[in-house]
Amino acid sequence: MSMNRIVLLMFLVFILEGTVMPWIIPAGFGHRIMPHFVFVIVIFSGLYSRRHLALLLGVSFGMLQDIVYFGHLLGINAFFMGLMGYFTGVLFERRRSTIMMAISVVGFACILYDSVIYFIYSVFRITSESYAWALIDHILPSLFLQLAFALACYVPVRKLFEGQSKATAENDEE
Amino acid sequence: MIELLKLMRNKRMFMLMIGFILFIAVIGYSLSDRKELSWPEKFLKDSTAYVQQWFYKPAGYIAGFFEDIRNMKTIYEENEQLRITAAAYSRDKIKYNFIEKENERYKEELRFTKQQEEMFNYKYLIAQVIAVSNDANNRTLSINLGSKNGIKPNMAVTTVKGLIGIVRSVTPFTASVTPITELNETSQSFNPVAVTILGRVDESFGILSNYNKETSRLVMTKIAEDDKMEFQDTVITSGLGGVYPRGLVVGTVENKQLGDFGLTYTATVKLAASFDHLTEVFVVSVPELEEAEQ
Repeated sequence: MSMNRIVLLMFLVFILEGTVMPWIIPAGFGHRIMPHFVFVIVIFSGLYSRRHLALLLGVSFGMLQDIVYFGHLLGINAFFMGLMGYFTGVLFERRRSTIMMAISVVGFACILYDSVIYFIYSVFRITSESYAWALIDHILPSLFLQLAFALACYVPVRKLFEGQSKATAENDEE
Repeated sequence: MIELLKLMRNKRMFMLMIGFILFIAVIGYSLSDRKELSWPEKFLKDSTAYVQQWFYKPAGYIAGFFEDIRNMKTIYEENEQLRITAAAYSRDKIKYNFIEKENERYKEELRFTKQQEEMFNYKYLIAQVIAVSNDANNRTLSINLGSKNGIKPNMAVTTVKGLIGIVRSVTPFTASVTPITELNETSQSFNPVAVTILGRVDESFGILSNYNKETSRLVMTKIAEDDKMEFQDTVITSGLGGVYPRGLVVGTVENKQLGDFGLTYTATVKLAASFDHLTEVFVVSVPELEEAEQ
């Protein structure tokens, strides 16, 4: 039940990211501020749930994004979303992270994720801009949006994932 | 080798390797020259688009309402300008009708073949944008027309203001549009665009080969030395490349300088269309030439 709800909510967030967010972002900043809300939720699932759930959610929603917005390459989002969700889980799943901890983890993860994607695209010669420019142009501006989203959804998402992992733990004991 | 085997004993490392190999394989698959998307991709895209279209348009209406309030002040000036344009238009319309009639008569007298007559008879299919990608290096738009509506890859897509991109891939009910900001000499997904200047169609020639993201301008190359291109000239597609139809507005010339080898000139072009808050776009359908040839 809870798992279904998580997937449904994440799908809704994925839809909103591509349809409602372009309207909320002011005109002229459309190519500079990119919402990566699904990624933020994947990182949260690594922090407050099990690492395997983060891996699963990351790979499946990353793949969904890759396929729906297929332009040049397939599988980048799937691989790195899954990988980064998993490693957040490996590093932080046993601790009870505080809000500051969680927000800073999300921030670093977002910078890393955007940078890795930039480097993959530049390896395949799809972009030819310098990294410093990409950092100023879209990686840092979008970081603020991601942090704001992380702050806004911190309480409900944490409840959702902690409830989920508690439920599975009880099931395991039975 | 033994070191590697020891590493492989670690289950996590092993899974990572497998994952990485899969990742490379999937990238390789997507880079291969495919004519069509595979059926799982089509299915996922169509079903997601079905949900997405409930959200994009209503969001646009709400956002548009607030924008309208903000624009209230400038509306009088705009109205004035539109009246002047409308007057000029009605004058030109009479002229145009006259020339069109004359042109048709000439075509008949010169015995144009069916194919030649239909060649520039483009169809503009109106489509709604249903989603915009959130990847900075891949700003794909989804539109709600697909192969069932006669959309094919490589069709040009414009707004009322100007060219915005080409159709990259189609599914039965949706199509992905690669914006012209992804234009890049080194990437294989976008063909260079042959362009000319409005009003001097047979004198000017250039090729849009690159989009410079740092200055947000298109780079137009291979301009002849004696070309009389000037600041603020309107750049339109010339239809010579075969991919793009002719006569689509691209933007305005900003400056012209000597190219890399000193033989040709390059110019920078400011795009006419804006990519923020897009609602309706037009897919330009070129009449089938292959059928006529057979």
